[in-house]
Amino acid sequence: MAETLRRVLTRGGAAWSGEENTPAAGPPLLLLGTPGSGKTALLFAAALEAAGEGQGPVLFLTRRPLQRMPRGTGTTLDPMRLQKIRFQYPPSTRELFRLLCSAHEAPGPAPSLLLLDGLEEYLAEDPEPQEAAYLIALLLDTAAHFSHRLGPGRDCGLMVALQTQEEADSGDVLHLALLQRYFPAQCWLQPDAPGPGEHGLRACLEPGGLGPRTEWWVTFRSDGEMMIAPWPTQAGDPSSGKDSSSGGQP
Amino acid sequence: ARWRRRCRRAREVRDRGLPDEYLLSLKFLFGSSATQALDLVDRQSITLISSPSGRRVYQVLGSSGKTYTCLASCHYCSCPAFAFSVLRKSDSILCKHLLAVYLSQVMRTCQQLSVSDKQLTDILLMEKKQEA
Repeated sequence: MAETLRRVLTRGGAAWSGEENTPAAGPPLLLLGTPGSGKTALLFAAALEAAGEGQGPVLFLTRRPLQRMPRGTGTTLDPMRLQKIRFQYPPSTRELFRLLCSAHEAPGPAPSLLLLDGLEEYLAEDPEPQEAAYLIALLLDTAAHFSHRLGPGRDCGLMVALQTQEEADSGDVLHLALLQRYFPAQCWLQPDAPGPGEHGLRACLEPGGLGPRTEWWVTFRSDGEMMIAPWPTQAGDPSSGKDSSSGGQP
Repeated sequence: ARWRRRCRRAREVRDRGLPDEYLLSLKFLFGSSATQALDLVDRQSITLISSPSGRRVYQVLGSSGKTYTCLASCHYCSCPAFAFSVLRKSDSILCKHLLAVYLSQVMRTCQQLSVSDKQLTDILLMEKKQEA
């Protein structure tokens, strides 16, 4: 799943407008960041990316409807892609469980990407580690079932966003350790400022396995527009080298 | 008697396609869990439940008589040992139930049960209710 996010970040948040081969889904990806770090905007950009020519549909799960469409980098929203994104709003952990347990009963074509925004809200409602483990396992099992329905050579990707706190308590640490076990690929959004007067985020993508770690600089304009560029000091900063194996945590 | 039982089990495993060296490797990697998992396989305690949708879930009848749900797609078992020793403490790679599922997949010895899509939903949801 990291490849979809890498394509989004490399293109500056814009969905690819041309036709190309369907990328392999890859391992499930966990998107981590503090409140307001742009997780929803990146998930939405990944949804648009995965709803391209010959791909989709995409299933986007979130607790409540988006207040407004997250903005990319100036590209117009393609209605054809937007139509392929199916939003569902399980209002509680119980309803999320029900949705995942009955996903095989849903009619229509299987999604090629399953997205969940705000996992922390569902975990907070039912914080027992065994409950959290079952919820996460069901997310993976649902994606595996969609892959089965898509047929040979096609997989359903899984991308889940989790809000992290500046000072995590022991429950958060336990959940994070559990999630990192089930999600080999991770993307961290960390507040950072490369120059005086600049405010932005460092997006650090660890694709899992032996893939290289890559970093980008993400900023949001006052109108909500997301701006993405390669991390400016990547070439000269040994800590952000492409062969880094620091584990992906800030 | 214990030795004879193990030899018999080894022969059964070999007859089902697992050579002796694999059996020794299982013992080396999983210790007593390997023997317990093979016991579960011998007793045909593993059931593969599937529905017309193609979704599948395993249920393992544990030695205590309690049934555990295993999701082989992502390494998950509902037993307390999996939650504590595997996920929380990282003391073990797998619990005996999940190991038994994987062994039964290789040895093609699990029981099979077909249910409706709705029944499969209820089975998955029941696991959540039991935990709660």
